[in-house]
Amino acid sequence: MKKILLLVVALSLGLFAVGEGSKALPFNLKSLSGKSYSMNSFKGKVVLLNLWASWCSGCKKEMPEFYKLQKSMGKNFKIVAVTIDKNSADAKSFLNSVNKKTGMKTPFVVLHNPSKSLARAYKAKGMPSSYLIDKKGIIRAVIIGSLNHNDIKELKKEIKKLK
Amino acid sequence: MKYTMIIVTMLIFSGCSSKLVRVMPYEKENFAMTKMSLNPLAERSEQEGHILLIREASAGGDSSFQGGCGCR
Repeated sequence: MKKILLLVVALSLGLFAVGEGSKALPFNLKSLSGKSYSMNSFKGKVVLLNLWASWCSGCKKEMPEFYKLQKSMGKNFKIVAVTIDKNSADAKSFLNSVNKKTGMKTPFVVLHNPSKSLARAYKAKGMPSSYLIDKKGIIRAVIIGSLNHNDIKELKKEIKKLK
Repeated sequence: MKYTMIIVTMLIFSGCSSKLVRVMPYEKENFAMTKMSLNPLAERSEQEGHILLIREASAGGDSSFQGGCGCR
């Protein structure tokens, strides 16, 4: 009884954060183009869930790197970029500027979560936050902060291991 | 009774938890606005420095190095 009570208290205090080894949290969100996606939509694929916003300078810095990453990693790997911008227009306008700069169309799904419920559920400790999720839906790496070119190289190795 | 007291105390103090008081990184949308920065007119600082230079008839009057009195 005592153990159960302590567990209930620990849970209510939010002592169990979402981290490596825990199951990816379910979601049901619409993309910037209006199509609905859930975590199940990416079942059987290695996923990099990225929480970002157009007002976050670190998020903007790493975005062109994600374009290249998605292009280079093939079909069994999907980047799922979740924007927490209030207005989807802000995210769209930023992505258009990246499209122009890179000469590519956004090569991954961009979901809109204005209520920030997913960031809250993941208890994101920084912006941007990225979660590398394996084919079984288990979080294998939590990356807080923006990734530079060298970090992406390391990340590629991790993705290849999971593929 | 002892355990109940501990649990009740923990639940009460959870209201003071840093997670509740702290502004989380994903909630900093308004803080990220230019007008919220310490120097919101950063782009204009060069022009402002130039105007100050003319007004004070002295270089460096706008910095903390000099007093800004124009008596350099």
